Amino acid sequence: MGDVILTMKGIDKSFPGVHALDHVDLEVRKGEVHALMGENGAGKSTLMKVLTGIYHKDAGTITYEGKEVEFTNPREAQDAGIVIVHQELNMMGHLTVAQNIFIGREYMNGKLIDDKKMNEEAKKLFDQLGINIDPKETMSRLTVGKQQMCEIAKAISHEAKVIIFDEPSAALTEAEIEELFKIIRDLRDKQMGIVYISHRMDEIKVITDRVTVMRDGGYVGTLITKDSTKDDIINMMVGRVIYEDPKTESQVAPDAPVVLKVEHLNAGRMVKDVSFELHKGEILGFSGLMGAGRTETARALFGADPKDSGDIYVNGQKVDIKTPQDAVKCGIGYLSEDRKRFGIVVDKTVAENSTMASMENFMKGIFIDKKKEKDTAQEYVEALKTKTPSVDQLVVNLSGGNQQKVVIAKWLVRNCDILIFDEPTRGIDVGAKSEIYHLMNELVAEGKSIIMISSEMTEILRMSDRIVVMCEGRKTGELGIEEATQERIMHAATLRN
Amino acid sequence: MTDKKNGNAFTNNPLVRAIGLQKIVVVIVLIALIAFFSAVSPSFRQYSTLLSIMDYTYYLAFLGIGVTFCLITGGVDLSIGTGMFCYALIGGYLITRQGMPVIVGILVTLICGLIMGIVNGLIVSKGGHAPFLATLCTMMIARGLGAIATGGASVTWPGATAPNGWTRSLFKLTVGEIKLPLGFLWVMILAVVMSIVLNKTRTGRYIIAIGSNKEATRLSGINVAKYQTMAYVFSGIFTGLAALAYSSAFQSMAPGGGGGVELNAIGGAIIGGTSMSGGAGSISGTILGVFIMSVLQTGLPLIGLQANYQQIIIGLVLIVAVYIDVLKNKKLDK
Amino acid sequence: MEKIKENAFVKKIGFNTLVLLCVMVVLYILFAIATPLIKTNASFVSYSRIVSALNYAYFLGFLALGVTFVIATGGIDFSIGPVMFCSALISGYMLTLKGVPLLVCLLVSVLVGTIFGVINGFLVAYAGLPSFITSMASMMIAKGVGSVFTKTQSVSWPQSADANGWFRNLVKMKINGIDIPTGLIYLIIGAVICSIILNKTKAGRYILCIGSNREAVRLSGVNTKKWEMLAYIICGLLAGLAAIFYVGAYTTVQPGLGDTFNNEAIAGCVMGGTSMTGGVASIAGTLVGVLIIALLQEGILAMGFQINYQYIITGIIVLVVVYADLRSRRRRN
Repeated sequence: MGDVILTMKGIDKSFPGVHALDHVDLEVRKGEVHALMGENGAGKSTLMKVLTGIYHKDAGTITYEGKEVEFTNPREAQDAGIVIVHQELNMMGHLTVAQNIFIGREYMNGKLIDDKKMNEEAKKLFDQLGINIDPKETMSRLTVGKQQMCEIAKAISHEAKVIIFDEPSAALTEAEIEELFKIIRDLRDKQMGIVYISHRMDEIKVITDRVTVMRDGGYVGTLITKDSTKDDIINMMVGRVIYEDPKTESQVAPDAPVVLKVEHLNAGRMVKDVSFELHKGEILGFSGLMGAGRTETARALFGADPKDSGDIYVNGQKVDIKTPQDAVKCGIGYLSEDRKRFGIVVDKTVAENSTMASMENFMKGIFIDKKKEKDTAQEYVEALKTKTPSVDQLVVNLSGGNQQKVVIAKWLVRNCDILIFDEPTRGIDVGAKSEIYHLMNELVAEGKSIIMISSEMTEILRMSDRIVVMCEGRKTGELGIEEATQERIMHAATLRN
Repeated sequence: MTDKKNGNAFTNNPLVRAIGLQKIVVVIVLIALIAFFSAVSPSFRQYSTLLSIMDYTYYLAFLGIGVTFCLITGGVDLSIGTGMFCYALIGGYLITRQGMPVIVGILVTLICGLIMGIVNGLIVSKGGHAPFLATLCTMMIARGLGAIATGGASVTWPGATAPNGWTRSLFKLTVGEIKLPLGFLWVMILAVVMSIVLNKTRTGRYIIAIGSNKEATRLSGINVAKYQTMAYVFSGIFTGLAALAYSSAFQSMAPGGGGGVELNAIGGAIIGGTSMSGGAGSISGTILGVFIMSVLQTGLPLIGLQANYQQIIIGLVLIVAVYIDVLKNKKLDK
Repeated sequence: MEKIKENAFVKKIGFNTLVLLCVMVVLYILFAIATPLIKTNASFVSYSRIVSALNYAYFLGFLALGVTFVIATGGIDFSIGPVMFCSALISGYMLTLKGVPLLVCLLVSVLVGTIFGVINGFLVAYAGLPSFITSMASMMIAKGVGSVFTKTQSVSWPQSADANGWFRNLVKMKINGIDIPTGLIYLIIGAVICSIILNKTKAGRYILCIGSNREAVRLSGVNTKKWEMLAYIICGLLAGLAAIFYVGAYTTVQPGLGDTFNNEAIAGCVMGGTSMTGGVASIAGTLVGVLIIALLQEGILAMGFQINYQYIITGIIVLVVVYADLRSRRRRN
């Protein structure tokens, strides 16, 4: 490890209603890989956005190469040598690989762009990284992994001194991850400072030199990776949050009937021959890495996306689900991972959202029975302990956890027996999280059945009675809770073809 | 997993990919249309028909080239048809009623287009308006302005034999007995120039990038507002050129006209493979698409379908073209 | 300020609508003062001018009420003006040249509008085409169909004194030599029905929610395509109805026209607080918005200006109002 190249000190940032960063510190040295860890919503990405000028900090200082800096946009940060490889890929699908890499700083030949030179330079970059991509290929025709490599090549081509990797491995195959690590080590040897954001403990141990942990927008501490254990890091990450122990045995009655059976489901490139069963009163966890095809499976099952083939049985009856309408008629409800886009109608009231899926029960002739609507909504506000001043409140004014409860209420009002919870606690604060867990346990106790998709291992182990693991669109494992361990799940989640 | 998503042997053929499948189909359709009209109508086979196809092509091609840039950014410019009339009215008014030199009239026509382009661009990029709504409003404004500027009367540009008639020779040169469609040369030259602008300059590159992924373009440190505005400025300037081509070909125009012309141009661009959802498009495709429109406009009356039928047919063509575009994008998303 | 907004009565009508009403009154006063100053011997304050402004408001009002539903879904319909003309041309042609009974013709008028609504709705909701380009294409088609049907002739509907002239009583009734603006009653009835549909029925609820977040509604198991299409059908139907009030007031229709009314109807809508991004709509607001547009055109004509100024002004109004809406949304997020 060399000299300090970048110091962030006392960084503070608030958004309306959220204190996103609370005096966070970070120090990066030349020639180190510095992990930035924390749970979802801990503020890692926000911190990096403040660094690269996408957000403006409210307080604190950033010192880079000995000088205090404040970038006002990503371009300035880039020019100074700080680049970020984004979690969401930032590419222009219609342009070629080389055109993407050199966007904003094209090689010119007089007034005209020198595409030939750009292709050559891109080729050189790829050779240097030891990857084989045709610079002239249209970006949208590459696989996600290859696209990521292009992003890295782009970052390097900026003569970067600090490179930030924001969950780079999430969508990569094992081989691609190996390739990525090789590249990162090369970069480290060239005395670059590297910030590596990831959830995956194993990777952190393999690739990083130091770890900075964040929690709920605050700075927790910095450790030297080789001197600390996994548990040290986990303890810092979870902190005051008391996670209950993993479930040790299934709570489902041995003779519980199968309420949902999916056979050989195929849909697009992300769902390949998936089969599973869901029992009455069961929480079936769906684990896997990002991009494993879990959400796609749920959406195809629910009729939200078209499926290519496969049979679905509800309570033993074969059903034909082509649209969400069909699914809802079969008593299936879907709680999306992206609440704002797929769950709630933000500028409508709690009452209006609660009855969305079952309007026909709230009609008096051709008119909506608003009193009944409000009464029912109120009933569920109380049952789910939703914090809202009234059922006339617009959902947009509720916190994430309470919005989630409104979506749950929507399906309970509809009296759905099979509920698909896709990342039910994403972006929800700790208190609300345990309330949602509590609620899920109550629901299965009442005889409802839940499919829970989750990327948080602790959540999977704590809530599930049985666990299905997916990788690259296939089901790669099925474990009873008694036999499930983090290691076994992870093994199945990386079982690639 | 392979790198190449969907497509079969034919569509993955390098030559087909280089030209674009859609353009090949358009050329075939164009040939089929010409063959059909020639077979049905003897008068379609005459040289004068070619000239009248060209008359329609000039202004539609200019409008099409300009609006292609807007479409590629993911926007649209609906003000071009009415705008073209407005600028031609103002320019012609200055020449024939105010007795100004022709060159002044021409410059004013072009400058009007430029100003409208800047205004549209700023409303869309800085004001954040939906392009279709913004340009619909400026279309109404252009309509009103054209009529007010000329006092509500129609305007006639100088005829070919008039002292100031040399402007008409710019597009149709009479050599002895033969009329030469000189305008075709200008259309081709400008098409090549704008094709280079689109594919070989930063402006064009960033316009494509904005249409492909606006946020990513912004994060690459590119001044999105500037280049988005540029697309509308191109559209404005080319509308000015179209106004010259129109007044040269048809000489006179009434205030309040020009509505619907934009759909011919936009339809031509979409037929040529420019996508309504942005990011993809080519000038050569637009020119081909515009030819389909102008062949239809010339051919339909010759087989007995007058202007009112044309409106219906062009409306249908537009719906089909946009539907194909929607299907294409759906396939890409998969 | 906040206190006024919280008042029960103000809440019921809508704060924005009340502001608009004030704008209307101010505008009236302005015209009353300005007209004699600008044009000698002209005056704005007269009963006949109010009746004349209302004549303009009826058909525009129905157009605007219809397009409010479409805009509420987050779409747009640029075909309403030409569709109205197409309806008036086809039914008028049948009435005057084919001798079809008046009542049938009035029904045909509504039917033609509805058919266009069905086509637009199908193309947008089921085929997934962008609404603005679809409706522009159907605008062309409506113009074409209208003029093909009448062989590019204009059509004149019967005068009040003629045999079939009674339908004009829908717009204006002469009692003891005084013009009674009966059309206003029908427009208000229409608005009340629209308001009930939008706010009290399942259709209205879904239309508004689709405009706000289509995917969330679809994933709630709602047939979003059906309800979205319905909005276009309502819009087309009302355009057909508007045709009756247009000819009731202005008698003659020419083929190939009508697109200027699109912008005026949309201007009335957005002024009334209906958001172009969808999800928010106010029928009362639309009504007042339309009255303002009608007043504006009466004022412009009274002062002796060309109607072309109206186009410019409505263009600017839409730009400004929509910009204000975008700004306030951005600030909230």
